[in-house]
Amino acid sequence: MSSILFIALPLLFGFATPILSKFGKNGVAYTSMIMQLFLLALAVSLLTTTSSYVEIISIAPPLGISFVLNSASLFFVLLFTLLMTLFSLYYLIHRKTDAYKDETKFFILLNMLLAAAIGLVLSSDIFNIYVFFEIAGISAYILSAYKKTSSALEAGLKYLLTGAVASVFLVFAIALIYINIGSLNLAVIAHSFEALPYNIKLLISILLLIGFGFKVEIFPLNFWVTDVYQGSSSLVNALFSGIVVKAYLFVFFHILYLFLPNGDFTVFLVYLGAISMLVAEIVGLRQTNLKRLFAYSSLGQVALIFTAFAMQNKDAIQAALFIVFSHSVAKFIIFLVLSAIEKEHKSIHIDTLKALNSSFLRAIMLIAMLSLLGIPLFAGFIGKFLALKSFAVEGLFVVLAIIIIGSLIEAVYYFKLAGFMFAKGEKREPLKIALAQKTLFGLLAFSLILIGIAPITISGFLLDASSVMLDGKSYVSMLVGG
Amino acid sequence: MSVKKISLKRELPTTTLSGFALSGLLVLTILNILLQNMPSKIQTAGDALLKLNATEGVANAVTTVVVFFRGFDTLGEIAVLFIASLGIGLMLHSNSKCNIKAESNFMLQTASKLLFPIILLFGTYVMIYGHLSPGGGFQGGVIIASGVLLLLISHKAFEVPHSVIVALETFAGVSYVLIGLIGLLVLDVFLGNFLPHDISQMGLLLSGGIIPLVYIIVGIKVGSEMSMIVQNLIQRDHDV
Amino acid sequence: MFEFFNQPEVIKTIVTLGSMLLFFVGLFGLLTRKHIIKIFISIAIMETSIFLLFIGLTFKTDFIAPILDKIHLDVSTMNDPIPHAMILTAIVIGMAVLALGVSFAIEYFKLTGKTDIDEMSEMRH
Repeated sequence: MSSILFIALPLLFGFATPILSKFGKNGVAYTSMIMQLFLLALAVSLLTTTSSYVEIISIAPPLGISFVLNSASLFFVLLFTLLMTLFSLYYLIHRKTDAYKDETKFFILLNMLLAAAIGLVLSSDIFNIYVFFEIAGISAYILSAYKKTSSALEAGLKYLLTGAVASVFLVFAIALIYINIGSLNLAVIAHSFEALPYNIKLLISILLLIGFGFKVEIFPLNFWVTDVYQGSSSLVNALFSGIVVKAYLFVFFHILYLFLPNGDFTVFLVYLGAISMLVAEIVGLRQTNLKRLFAYSSLGQVALIFTAFAMQNKDAIQAALFIVFSHSVAKFIIFLVLSAIEKEHKSIHIDTLKALNSSFLRAIMLIAMLSLLGIPLFAGFIGKFLALKSFAVEGLFVVLAIIIIGSLIEAVYYFKLAGFMFAKGEKREPLKIALAQKTLFGLLAFSLILIGIAPITISGFLLDASSVMLDGKSYVSMLVGG
Repeated sequence: MSVKKISLKRELPTTTLSGFALSGLLVLTILNILLQNMPSKIQTAGDALLKLNATEGVANAVTTVVVFFRGFDTLGEIAVLFIASLGIGLMLHSNSKCNIKAESNFMLQTASKLLFPIILLFGTYVMIYGHLSPGGGFQGGVIIASGVLLLLISHKAFEVPHSVIVALETFAGVSYVLIGLIGLLVLDVFLGNFLPHDISQMGLLLSGGIIPLVYIIVGIKVGSEMSMIVQNLIQRDHDV
Repeated sequence: MFEFFNQPEVIKTIVTLGSMLLFFVGLFGLLTRKHIIKIFISIAIMETSIFLLFIGLTFKTDFIAPILDKIHLDVSTMNDPIPHAMILTAIVIGMAVLALGVSFAIEYFKLTGKTDIDEMSEMRH
């Protein structure tokens, strides 16, 4: 079973949708669900392959494009297929009362987003990565503006503008790379990148940093994120913070570890990440719109993941992967619950939390928020603890202090939220959540608690993934030597 | 009734000046670095691909690179165009019949009726001969779409039928991915060249295996999607 | 005098200067203009300048186009085909994204009548 199917099947589904929609009103929805379940099964079955292997497309690397499947990319592929399958399951029930009009287009966009995110993680050719960036980006812009209200269109416009500017800088960097090195394969570029003259190396690195920086949401290039999250619907926000930004983070650091294995920019990037987290948490303190508040929290957590990845050592990367898992699952829960609230009450002010009248949902939200904070017994604790430990081991106490202050500020507004949730205010009627959706939330929350109590289940896998990510030499020899 | 004071001194346009200074500074530093690093003759991947081109038996090396050696990028680009056309249709599609277009010139109406078949023929020629001379699917598709644009602006009642476009798009997209999957089955390589591509056939219309086939599919897709985009952008249900 | 301009270094310098001038124009428009369509046009100008730079710097003036036929069979004097393929893809992608952006702007204008990017504040900060 080849890993190309992760890309080819969603593309085939997308192109064949007019045929599938002939199978009745629900034809597209159910076939999409079945295809995503098949991809999830394929990803789980690939867990048994022990070593990394290279999948050739058209001709062999380094002249052609190829996919590299190692434990790091497999972790992300598993995460994305799992989250997308659960999202489709949630949406299949959500649409019974509140379907999007022109729904076949919605499913096409979801599947294209999944294909592009997986392609970003697997690909080993820099121009192919750019093409997948554009596919993911354009699906995200349309998903953001799907409802066609004025705030949704404004969110879509801002997202598109920043994405287009980022693409210009990326193309500039790729053009300079090809002019000076002569190849588009990541392994060949990594091999020859050190030997370039200093100023052109600096120019390419800065252009790549600006181009990726818009997408990876670091300060000061993250001014667009909160407006986009506020204007889009919460369902789509779950996808953005759970799948899209994680794929972008992986690509950025994969390329960084290959091109600059000696850590030339480490200190700069670590401080940049820490400052981003602090700024995001401080501004998030006085928000009253729930979607905007969780967008700032998302910015802070993504900055923490960025800082941990930027440390460029094995333990810090393992910590970053733990936080990737716990943040994706927790934000998924939060934004899906927010979408249920939005469907009923049509407003996302912080007072609406008083309307969460079902104690099951309150418990689920509490678990997700506690996990994001890093309270022990939840999955977020392991990641944050390992990250802080690696900062302390390296002697970066200023960064440690900044991250702890940021986390304390985050704790302040989460406890404010919890106060609203458990407040004894006026009782509105409880939200109608289907049993299947409750099972879904329960499953996700249970996984957070499970990983929190027994992180040993995935810590070996994540340690292996982090050492594979750092091992640029074997990556290069796999593609160029073999 | 108070008299509003109008300042006679012209204000300094701060945003324009600071934008000018910032972008000028940026561009000058980039220019400086680029001028110091003029590219010398290095062995690029393209030279190696040119040597490999002979094994595919196609005369136009750029076509081989676009369709075969980098065929996955072309598939991704087709996906981007497909999603963009989907999004524009989602945003601008109107079901109402009334569309406001000014009545066009008599010369334009007659000339477009004469020119459209020639443009269509030329676009098809560029598409089909893409592997033998400069041209190809993208170029041919855009030429066909420009012919459709000519008809759209010259005839008020002309409308490209939606179902035909959707059928063409679906057929082209599905067959491109299916060709890739057949390559996976037959040759164990996605988008492998599984039809005969002997070098002795170079220069003939039927050469290069799947390459002319894929480029014609790309041309059909690009032509139909660009026509749809152009039609969505022109037709309006009320004056904007 | 024309022999001076035919040298590859001089041609590459002229191409670099020209495309950076275009990039400057596009960047200036992006940073200072407020109307959304002007911002889209500036992004298009920036993209075009990058394509010009790329093609100009990878083009060897004394080599021929990479098309084989009965008399041109020697590949060692042919130009590089990869930049052509990359630019084709990049042009189509750039055009698709900008067309989508224009359609968003049209719909937004239909709903609210605003085109100034400073006035787009549906969401209070």
